[in-house]
Amino acid sequence: MSFISLKFAAFVIILLIVYYLVPKKWQWLLLLLASYYFYLCTGIKNMGYILVTTLTTYGAAVFIENNARVQKEYIKANKESLSREEKKVYKASMKKKEKWMLFLCTVINIGILAYFKYANFSIAYLNLFKLHVMGSTDFIGFFDLILPLGISFYTFQSIGYLVDIYYGKYEAERNIFKYALYVSYFPQIIQGPISRFNELASELYRGASFDIMRIRSGFYRVMWGLFKKLVIADRLSPFVQTSMEMREEYSGFYLILTLFFYSMQIYGDFSGGIDVALGVSEMLGIRVAENFERPFFSKNIAEYWRRWHITLGTWFRDYIFYPLSINKGIINLGKRCKGLNEGFGKRVPIYLPMIIVWITTGMWHGAESKYVVWGLLNCLFIIIGTEIKPGCEKLNEKLGLKEASLLLKLIRVVKTFWLMAFLRVFDIAEDTKAGFETLGLVFKGWKNFDINVIFNELKLPKEEFIVAIIALIVLFSAELLQRKEGLRSRIFKLPIPCRWLILGGLIFIVVVYGSYGMGYDAKQFIYLQF
Amino acid sequence: MDELIKILKSYHPEVDYEKESGLIDKKIFDSFDIVSIVGELMDEFDIEINAEHMVPENFNSAKAIWDLIVRLQDE
Repeated sequence: MSFISLKFAAFVIILLIVYYLVPKKWQWLLLLLASYYFYLCTGIKNMGYILVTTLTTYGAAVFIENNARVQKEYIKANKESLSREEKKVYKASMKKKEKWMLFLCTVINIGILAYFKYANFSIAYLNLFKLHVMGSTDFIGFFDLILPLGISFYTFQSIGYLVDIYYGKYEAERNIFKYALYVSYFPQIIQGPISRFNELASELYRGASFDIMRIRSGFYRVMWGLFKKLVIADRLSPFVQTSMEMREEYSGFYLILTLFFYSMQIYGDFSGGIDVALGVSEMLGIRVAENFERPFFSKNIAEYWRRWHITLGTWFRDYIFYPLSINKGIINLGKRCKGLNEGFGKRVPIYLPMIIVWITTGMWHGAESKYVVWGLLNCLFIIIGTEIKPGCEKLNEKLGLKEASLLLKLIRVVKTFWLMAFLRVFDIAEDTKAGFETLGLVFKGWKNFDINVIFNELKLPKEEFIVAIIALIVLFSAELLQRKEGLRSRIFKLPIPCRWLILGGLIFIVVVYGSYGMGYDAKQFIYLQF
Repeated sequence: MDELIKILKSYHPEVDYEKESGLIDKKIFDSFDIVSIVGELMDEFDIEINAEHMVPENFNSAKAIWDLIVRLQDE
């Protein structure tokens, strides 16, 4: 069931009616039923995988917590009789059991995810190895695999929960049905955000009273999400696709425009989908973590990644980057490297985990080498940015440019936007080689630009082009307005006729200027494939 | 505490560590700062900081960091 369908709209309306009719204490159960129905609509086969993840992480969390409790009680009961050393040995043996459980459960769940995402990727490389090294053409056949919807998101969310229980950050959920809701909550299951249990659980279980203001606010957000998805992303999609297919013929400025429009397309698509998810959640009285914070206003790539797909970034930071960077082995490696060079040694515990995180981030986005290259290039630019920062600050001082100056901020924002736009070429190119070739083509054929080619050859007719530009101006203005205060809180301060005018206008624009047409089928959200 | 303030000052000298209680929440320290500071704390105070200690509450102020150090030294 796509977010962009009448079926989904009907599903949400019916759910909202029933949700506010049932007593608060049963609302979470209704949400669980609704979430399972929603997920069932994606195919009955998928249910098995989400059930395995739910049951294994639930069981492992309870085991770990019980084990930790037994350990604490034993230490407390034998406080006087046990020596410090005996306590240490006992704690270590109990922690070992927890570690094993964490490891086993993580292997099972990451194993399922890896099987779906990387089995065919591995086979392709094995076949290449057979051909080039062994000279054999006896290739291994590919699996017929369809990635279960949202598997990356719910797997990460569940493993994050399990790790937090292992660290003793909060108590494990003992009610398996409540836990199942945390894993399967329908607005966020297909493309995030990846929520933390301590933030989402209480929201899901506490129940909510009907509040027309909240419904209205959530509805605004849903419409804004549809605007981004249908008016911007889906309108630009045919142009981006065609332009990439014809890039040899139409390079130079056409490709610059393609990279710009693709940045807008993916932002409209992903953040639009998140707006729909968060808007629906808001109508249900459930606050979910934000996933975007106006990323195109970032002044460097590191900041960009703190503002784009925020919950994935913080997941990688907390569960991969931090554990690796303060890992004894890596710290000792850093110390050894300090012997060679002080500065280099200091950087090892930071840059080495960062490289691993970025390779993982690339792999998360897709089982292709181009995504690994994309990840590593992101990492490289962040490292370069960090290393040249002091030099740049000195240079700016000499040039008389103050850190807080608008000009400097603008230069940095534009630079970050275009760096990210260029890196995104690996998203839309067929493979790594094609990605680099496309970047080369950007610098060719600038003299041949003719705007009519965009209208006639590249599937963005003049009228569509004008609508897209106006929609992007609206988007940019809205984002700019959000700098100091949320857009909706600004709107709600306006007189009633103005509010109705804005809402009516938004609905009108989405209905009339949404990228529909004959036999229209809303494009799948790009992030569904991840 | 003085040794701690000295370490923190080497990263962000502009911060008033006596008063500041939002080092993480206000994004004064980024993850690079945190990792580097943690490395120095482990060396300076002979403690073992694990991933489970990497929560904002432990790093939001100099006092919170000091409390963590004392707690880990006692363990």
